[in-house]
Amino acid sequence: MTEAFQSVGKSVIRKDAWEKATGQALYTADLSAEDLTFGAILRSPHHHARILNLDVTAARKVPGVKAVITSDDIPGEKVFGPLVQDQPSLASDVVRHLGEPVALVIASTRIAAEKARERILVSYQELEAVFDPVEAAQPDAPQLHTDGNIVSELHVGDGDITVGFQEADVVVEGTYNLPRISPGYMEPETSLAIWHEDGTITVWVSSQHPFTDQAVIAAALDMPVDQVRVKSAVIGGAFGGKEDSSLSILAALGAWKIRGAVKLVNNRRESFLAHPKRHPARIHYKLGARKDGTLTALQAEAYLDTGAYASYGPAVAMITTETMTGSYHIPHVKVDSYVVYTNSPLSGAMRGFGSPQSHFAVESTLDILAERIGLTPIEIRERNILQPGDQLYTKVVMNESALALPECLQKGREIMNEFRAAETTPGKLSGVGIALAAQSMGLGANVPDDSSHRLEWAPDGSVLIYLGAPDMGQGLAAAAEQITAEALGIPYERVYSLPLDTLETPNGNVTCASRMTYMAGNALLDASSSLIQSLLNEAGRLLDQPPDQLKYRDGMVIKPDGVEVPAVEFISRLAEESITLTAESTFSFPYPEETTPQHLPIGMPHVLYCFGAQVARVEVDPDLGTVEVTHFASIHDVGKVINRAGVEGQIEGGVATGLGYALYESMALKGDAWVDSFTEYLLPTAVDLPENYRSVILEVPEASGPYGAKGIGEIPLVPTAPAVANALYDALQVRIYDLPITPEKVMGLDK
Amino acid sequence: MKNIEVEFTLNGKKTSLSSAPNLTLLDVLRDELGLTGVKDSCGGEGECGACTVIINGKPVNSCLVFIGQVEGLQVTTIEGITPEDGYHPIQRAFVEAGAVQCGYCTPGAILATKALLDSNPEPSDRQIREGLSGNLCRCTGYTKMLDAVHRVIDEGQDD
Repeated sequence: MTEAFQSVGKSVIRKDAWEKATGQALYTADLSAEDLTFGAILRSPHHHARILNLDVTAARKVPGVKAVITSDDIPGEKVFGPLVQDQPSLASDVVRHLGEPVALVIASTRIAAEKARERILVSYQELEAVFDPVEAAQPDAPQLHTDGNIVSELHVGDGDITVGFQEADVVVEGTYNLPRISPGYMEPETSLAIWHEDGTITVWVSSQHPFTDQAVIAAALDMPVDQVRVKSAVIGGAFGGKEDSSLSILAALGAWKIRGAVKLVNNRRESFLAHPKRHPARIHYKLGARKDGTLTALQAEAYLDTGAYASYGPAVAMITTETMTGSYHIPHVKVDSYVVYTNSPLSGAMRGFGSPQSHFAVESTLDILAERIGLTPIEIRERNILQPGDQLYTKVVMNESALALPECLQKGREIMNEFRAAETTPGKLSGVGIALAAQSMGLGANVPDDSSHRLEWAPDGSVLIYLGAPDMGQGLAAAAEQITAEALGIPYERVYSLPLDTLETPNGNVTCASRMTYMAGNALLDASSSLIQSLLNEAGRLLDQPPDQLKYRDGMVIKPDGVEVPAVEFISRLAEESITLTAESTFSFPYPEETTPQHLPIGMPHVLYCFGAQVARVEVDPDLGTVEVTHFASIHDVGKVINRAGVEGQIEGGVATGLGYALYESMALKGDAWVDSFTEYLLPTAVDLPENYRSVILEVPEASGPYGAKGIGEIPLVPTAPAVANALYDALQVRIYDLPITPEKVMGLDK
Repeated sequence: MKNIEVEFTLNGKKTSLSSAPNLTLLDVLRDELGLTGVKDSCGGEGECGACTVIINGKPVNSCLVFIGQVEGLQVTTIEGITPEDGYHPIQRAFVEAGAVQCGYCTPGAILATKALLDSNPEPSDRQIREGLSGNLCRCTGYTKMLDAVHRVIDEGQDD
């Protein structure tokens, strides 16, 4: 029997879309304030240098300048960081990467601030820099911090790889190099801070977790947390890159210093140097199998370049490590991974969070192995694919939702056959490739993974959601509204999400890790039940009836005699008594008992997975080495679709970013400077996307999800690059080990 | 630096202003005239299309135009194509097709679409892609934007 849904599963129109389409939506940079001043950040011109002297005297004299701020002016914590407190808000003694903030100028105009910035005199003593994570991990490498360059390391295994490789008939190995890529959100980082006369401060910031900003601002200003109010305006994309605090601390510092209002906006060059990027990684991958294709052993070693500061590096490396076996069962596994400081701009969270790197190694090596054994890419995947009940080498057991994985593969097989039948353009060679993905959801066990949200019944009968985590553009608000509307049996049009305000909103924790629809959805389902119960209690009082004899359905209170009274009648009467019905709920990610550190070899294992498969067809010009993706299919299980257009949008956008990883994007060192503009850092454009594209959405219910839903935010970009690389091999028999796939690499001309 | 006097037509209205000559049209629209529907993403390099406006029928990156260069020209921003009541058919199509996610590129992409359809009411899929190729979007993968443009063409509603 299919359950009939009113809101869930529909392609509803997002309520924020109208104001975005008319240009009326206000992003942080669009906000203003009385007597607004502007900040300009002096950034390090060196990759690694000691600051010998910092003289701001001349800068302070520039007309219009209100303050020039250095590390010495910070009254509280001078460093911050989500996992390791290692990143200075303003460098004091040493700069560790190009573009690191050294001083902040506040002036009445942007131009005055920029002019004063030029007058700041800094003398640097350049230090030797290191950019390669493997080199940086050596004991004789230039040291960035006092405790060595290795931020964290993991050594995880299961079974005995010596036995596993002895059992193998074929063993292949290779080293994969993954580039540094940018989340590439269109809205650069921005913050606006206003100091109030009562000694409190309000800060708007484009952030995935304003509560973190609130905490780090309070720490930097040495203020009580409750005197710092952080608010979200409309957010112009984030993709993980706005998980770290950045400009909010500096804007707040400026506002505090001048006792006024300060706006800070990174331009794109500053953004490239400042925001966290996907970790460049070097992965050595050795995989063994029997003649029939059964995998017997894996040994992998990964070095992740986290740049000058740790950011989320150690957590990213956990997911790289956990997903090193991809979607497959491998009995004997040993994985060693290292997160290493280098003098690169920092790497941190980005959509996929460590798993695009591991998946490129897994899915490429699997095709190499299949060819050696004489199996097709489909056959080797079918032989080893995870099933419900299978245990990963991290001892996490796949739940029933893993039934989706073979379904994705089966669908992928059908589409591969279809793509193979396409006609090849004369002069080109064509090939088809497939890759699977298993992407974890949630923050991981043994770290707080809770999410709180509140509902309020407004006097006009509409329902407000105090959504505890920001919608960064992906459509969280609409999904939350649909789930709430469904649970309350009222129209989606009558439910509104409010922008986040730390003063008003419960803490929903970070919008990340494909977790928000699941977390907020579950919390809102529970809050809806509580809200209905409160309504029935109050209705009982007003009607002089025992509440347990009243029922609620679809916005109506049903009396024992069957008469239905619209809920809004009670809500408006309660409003007259100054009673507002609210319900807040916290959902905690359900981690089983066995995920405590005593039971598992990895600190914060992830227990719930999203699954997908992608199929690419490419045409290659054998003389020029150019690769065109002509056909692409992205197959994903989402448990249950909440907003169909939203799910499709996540998949389509993810695939585009995945194609960028595959073919175009790399924030590399060019000469002595980083690629730091869209002139050289190529995001895919409308002409670069495959003309024949489709999303296939499967719904294998997740028992713990709201209406059975799981996440979809990250996985659509995870298998893309290996699917394209495998298709290229199929076309040309050229195996790519280093992304992006440039014509030079295709032709074997790169050094 | 001496200010210059500039006269142009902005969203159908004669506009005169005095401005520093080194300001771009983008600076003036956002900072002086409060038209914040025009966005800056690439940092004034003409690479992203978020600051697209229509000048005499052509889509232009307003970050690459000095204010003095619009003397006597017709400039249209997203605010200028939005009717007082309701929405332009292209705006409606973008919203209804699900082409709006974070929305930061949306005003620019809508104006690029308008300029394209005004000059070529029935473009091919390839021509639509080329017409939007100057407008970067990281959220949508462009699929639903292309759907939106096809919707407008199919409905024949563009004016």
